[in-house]
Amino acid sequence: MFMTRSEYDRGVNTFSPEGRLFQVEYAIEAIKLGSTAIGIQTSEGVVLAVEKRVTSTLMVPATTEKIVEIDDHIGCACSGLMADSRTMVDRARVEAQNHWFLYNEKMSVESVTQAVSNLAIQFGDSDSDGNAMSRPFGVAILFAGVDSKGPQLYHMDPSGTYVQCDAKAIGSGCEGAQQALQEAYHRSMTMKEAIKCILTILKQVMEEKLNSTNVEVATITPGKGYHMFTKEEVEEAIKEIA
Amino acid sequence: MQRSLNNSETLSGIIQKPQFSPYTDNGGTVIAVGGKGFVIIGCDSRLSSGYTINTRFQPKLFKLTPQTVLGSAGCWCDVLTFVRLIEARLKMYSYEHNKTMSTPATAQLVSIMLYYKRFFPYYVSNLVAGLDEEGNGVVYSYDPVGHCEQSTYCATGSSSAFIQPLLDNYVGKKNIANAEKGKLLTQEEALRVVNDAFVSATERNMYCGDSIILNIITEKGIEERVIPLRKD
Repeated sequence: MFMTRSEYDRGVNTFSPEGRLFQVEYAIEAIKLGSTAIGIQTSEGVVLAVEKRVTSTLMVPATTEKIVEIDDHIGCACSGLMADSRTMVDRARVEAQNHWFLYNEKMSVESVTQAVSNLAIQFGDSDSDGNAMSRPFGVAILFAGVDSKGPQLYHMDPSGTYVQCDAKAIGSGCEGAQQALQEAYHRSMTMKEAIKCILTILKQVMEEKLNSTNVEVATITPGKGYHMFTKEEVEEAIKEIA
Repeated sequence: MQRSLNNSETLSGIIQKPQFSPYTDNGGTVIAVGGKGFVIIGCDSRLSSGYTINTRFQPKLFKLTPQTVLGSAGCWCDVLTFVRLIEARLKMYSYEHNKTMSTPATAQLVSIMLYYKRFFPYYVSNLVAGLDEEGNGVVYSYDPVGHCEQSTYCATGSSSAFIQPLLDNYVGKKNIANAEKGKLLTQEEALRVVNDAFVSATERNMYCGDSIILNIITEKGIEERVIPLRKD
């Protein structure tokens, strides 16, 4: 990819002669610098887990929030430029609430993902709106939720492309983690197994030692909806895999 | 001494009323009664203005989805515009979300579309009839600015004052001592009460008559029936 680099990697809306948009490809590369995030979909619900890089002992780990709530029934895990993710999370929340206001029903996970992907491709020179992003967003997002179709997991990259997945890993450890998911995942997984599996894989791909301050775990289930694990619950889950 | 003139005053002191009257009442009555696994919505087919009958056969029911029907009466031009807009919104929803809109979602959308014209409202009495998540009949009634109430039976339009009390008594068992409340009608009972209500209203109300158009909504689909009424 870097071999063919030329002036075509400058503009965000200029195709290279081979038909590529380099800035979008570079944005996808930027995700691979981000911290690892994993999601697993089961028939009982969806689990999300992310690693938090605690770069200094003087840093307060609780201030980096990589799994966030979109609505009662949807959560998402982000990897990449966290500042960019704020804009997208905000859009997702607005769309979910607007849908509820208009139709008095919960927005489906796919529709939320679709709405955010519409935002993701609005980069380039501003025309009608006048306030478009000048570059693609540098984040990949895992949308996890429960709707009328059951528990669902979607992955969206900076190009705005989204795919539904049974299990997906993004971020720096994604290659190793995806390989491990491929081997560990089966359709009859319970939530308990999924939490155990997700932490085991995260432990394998993390550089630091896994503990209750440098991971975030959240579940989305039909009964309880979005639930972010407390420090105690994370500790308990870690004990299971030790 | 100069005095500034109020909009409605002229120099001669005659009060002038604003000329623009954007609304007209074209009459029409809509009734809906729901029960276990079905809902019936009916309208009369007369369209009138003042002492003239514009047409004797104008259905006022609009199939929005395979399990939701909107009944609309009042200012007919507003009805036409409102229905076109909501049909467009339903189509957009089905493209965006890959599913047809449920009856409760349609009901909420109708409410919001009406309220968005809060200060120049559609002069329309709406009823939304359809099936809920469990497949049972639900009826949503509205005022012209979008206040919405969910129930299992309702009458609206020009004869609502005649029919609603009848439904309250017969269907809702209101103001009856020791009545068994909350019991839903069967489809046959509901059909009879809707039919009788229209026949009675036609006797008393000039704006109701010609024929009844019924839509019977069940899980299987929407069955349409036309029953003649008095034409005078």
